[in-house]
Amino acid sequence: MSKGLEFSKKTKERLQAIVAKYPEKGAALLPTLWLAQREFSAITPEVEEYVAGLLGLSLVRVHEALSFYTMYTPQPLGKYHIQLCTNISCSLLGAEELLAYLKKRLNIEAGETTPDKKFTLSTVECLGYCGTAPVMRLNETFYENLTENGIDQILRKLP
Amino acid sequence: MPTLVIDDQKVTVDPGTTIIQAAKKLDITIPHYCYHPRLKSVDMCRMCLVEVKDIPKLQTACSTQVRDNMVVFTNNQKVLDARRSVLEFLLINHPLDCPICDKAGECMLQDFYFQFSRHTSKFKEKKQKKHKVVNLGPKIVLDSERCILCARCVRFLKEVVGTEELGIFDRGDHSEIGIYPGRPLENNYQGNLADVCPVGALTAKDFRFACRSWFLCQENSICPGCSTGCNVLVHSSERSYDKTLRRVYRLTPRDNDEVNQSWLCDVGRYGYHFVDDPDRLTAPSLKRGEEYVKVDWDTAFREVAQRLRGIFERYSPSSLGIIPSPQLTNEDLYMVKKFFNETLCITNIDFKLPGWNQGQGDGFLLKADRNPNTMGAELLGLSGIGPQAGEIIEKTRLGEIKALYLVGSDPARYLGEEKIASALSRAQLVVFQGSNYNYACKFAHAILPGATFVEKEGTFTNAQARVQKINQALRPLGESLPDWKIILGLALTMGYYFPYKAAEDIFKDIAREVTGFSGLDYKKVGDKGIKLALSGG
Ligand code: SF4
Ligand code: SF4
Ligand code: FES
Repeated sequence: MSKGLEFSKKTKERLQAIVAKYPEKGAALLPTLWLAQREFSAITPEVEEYVAGLLGLSLVRVHEALSFYTMYTPQPLGKYHIQLCTNISCSLLGAEELLAYLKKRLNIEAGETTPDKKFTLSTVECLGYCGTAPVMRLNETFYENLTENGIDQILRKLP
Repeated sequence: MPTLVIDDQKVTVDPGTTIIQAAKKLDITIPHYCYHPRLKSVDMCRMCLVEVKDIPKLQTACSTQVRDNMVVFTNNQKVLDARRSVLEFLLINHPLDCPICDKAGECMLQDFYFQFSRHTSKFKEKKQKKHKVVNLGPKIVLDSERCILCARCVRFLKEVVGTEELGIFDRGDHSEIGIYPGRPLENNYQGNLADVCPVGALTAKDFRFACRSWFLCQENSICPGCSTGCNVLVHSSERSYDKTLRRVYRLTPRDNDEVNQSWLCDVGRYGYHFVDDPDRLTAPSLKRGEEYVKVDWDTAFREVAQRLRGIFERYSPSSLGIIPSPQLTNEDLYMVKKFFNETLCITNIDFKLPGWNQGQGDGFLLKADRNPNTMGAELLGLSGIGPQAGEIIEKTRLGEIKALYLVGSDPARYLGEEKIASALSRAQLVVFQGSNYNYACKFAHAILPGATFVEKEGTFTNAQARVQKINQALRPLGESLPDWKIILGLALTMGYYFPYKAAEDIFKDIAREVTGFSGLDYKKVGDKGIKLALSGG
């Protein structure tokens, strides 16, 4: 197991509850990675090693899962992770302009994090809200019927 | 037990058998990639699709279990069409670089393409680019563009070796085989990866670009690397195709359920290079002053015979010592025993140099005893007659033994050079008989070149007391001779005649005289060997 890294007591309890749901420990890999990403803000190699140790899996198995799914991130994200949908419906309703606006406002490209580590901007495929496109996700919250004004308001309210 | 019909032939198999296994019983090979008889079925490649009567969709033969009265078609139009489509898909991103691929000639993708598909690609888009010449470790190279993602390599390391060093990373048509960043392959079974890979994606560095597979002859043999005695195929050619002048190009495993399943360890697999090493002894030579002169066999025999006789006459049989090697065949060892012990009455004969069986085993195939024929040497009585080999060396140092005859053994390897120098330099006569130069040769008055395991015929007895046969793949290098023949020649020069023309004749006498071997002959030993019935064994 790797040096220094350890889940908080609360996370450990959650992990236990998750692991209990599966016939074998290793099956809990995806939710465990998810916990780890929240706790350590990124799945770095050290985190991979920690998770592998927790679940009794080889490093390769953990890395396979990590490389398969796009929502795990090997680099720490900003405090706020903005995921803007650029799939068809959203693009028809102005997602491209919104993307340009966000880039200008945050002064970063898609896939980048602001130097103050506050914002990370990503483009994603369908978020499942086509009826109220364009949409974006800010951490766990979804925002629909977006406009430049709307974005301003959302961002301004953030602590 | 379910009985089913495959391509109009009836077959009865155990419940739980898969279609692909049942077909094999009828000698029908269903084309496949991801299926490997020693790995779990995973249904990844769809190459094995067959039609089962009354099931609308084609089924994967590698994982579908048979039922009673099942009717299977492995070669009708529907199946052939599907097979062709699968091949078309598998080849979409393939670089089609067979002319420079080491697997060409023994590649399942190439073979099945020519057998079942011969399609022209309809794919007009740009091919997916992937990593090439990826070093997975010290022995294996990956070309991801040739990979068909059957995961045999991944599963081999998971299920058989247990090291789980390879995985499939990324997704969809970006998927690639790889190691965890910065953690190269380290296990002792890497060579098998190039064998299990059905295509040219994984190739062995030892064989890469050395020779086209179709220039090589194959001969059944046994790995001499340890007392497991893995069954191998020796791939060789009398004519060398590369600068190193090698004649042996590789060893690959031969299936044997009782011994090595379908695997070889890397120590054994890559241990063959001594066969064509520049340090091979290729001509009999005699020490004249400080120089060695090459002589013909007759001259060498005459000189050795004369000097041995001289020592005999001046002293007694106890002034001679013989150290044979458990690397020798049963036939070689039988001759050693027959001539030196039973004929010349020498009792200072022993093969157990201190530490001779204390290599490092790995808990799977590789044994700590790195000799293929320790059991044979024991059974033939090449230990326990008199002092142990270490004492023989010591007696030589003390001057009690005046003549030391080493048959294939390398005492410095176990006792260190200093000890050997102090002992051998005191002997009046040192004869070294063996295939490669070693430290003891420095002190030899006569050097008699022996053939290696690929250059002779004979048998080894492994740790499980299984007698297994090695066959001659190549002519002995230079003037070297099989060890039994050398002893036969020396004996004849000294006036003793043994009526052996071939190793097989010797084996007949072994079967007659040695407990456990009785009733055996080469035919019974066959390609898979035979376990000796040893009482109290
Ligand atoms: S490298 Fe070979 S064995 Fe491994 S997945 Fe690719 S084709 Fe299969
Ligand atoms: S396990 Fe022993 S016999 Fe088998 S390949 Fe390795 S060295 Fe040779
Ligand atoms: S061999 Fe059956 S799916 Fe691959």
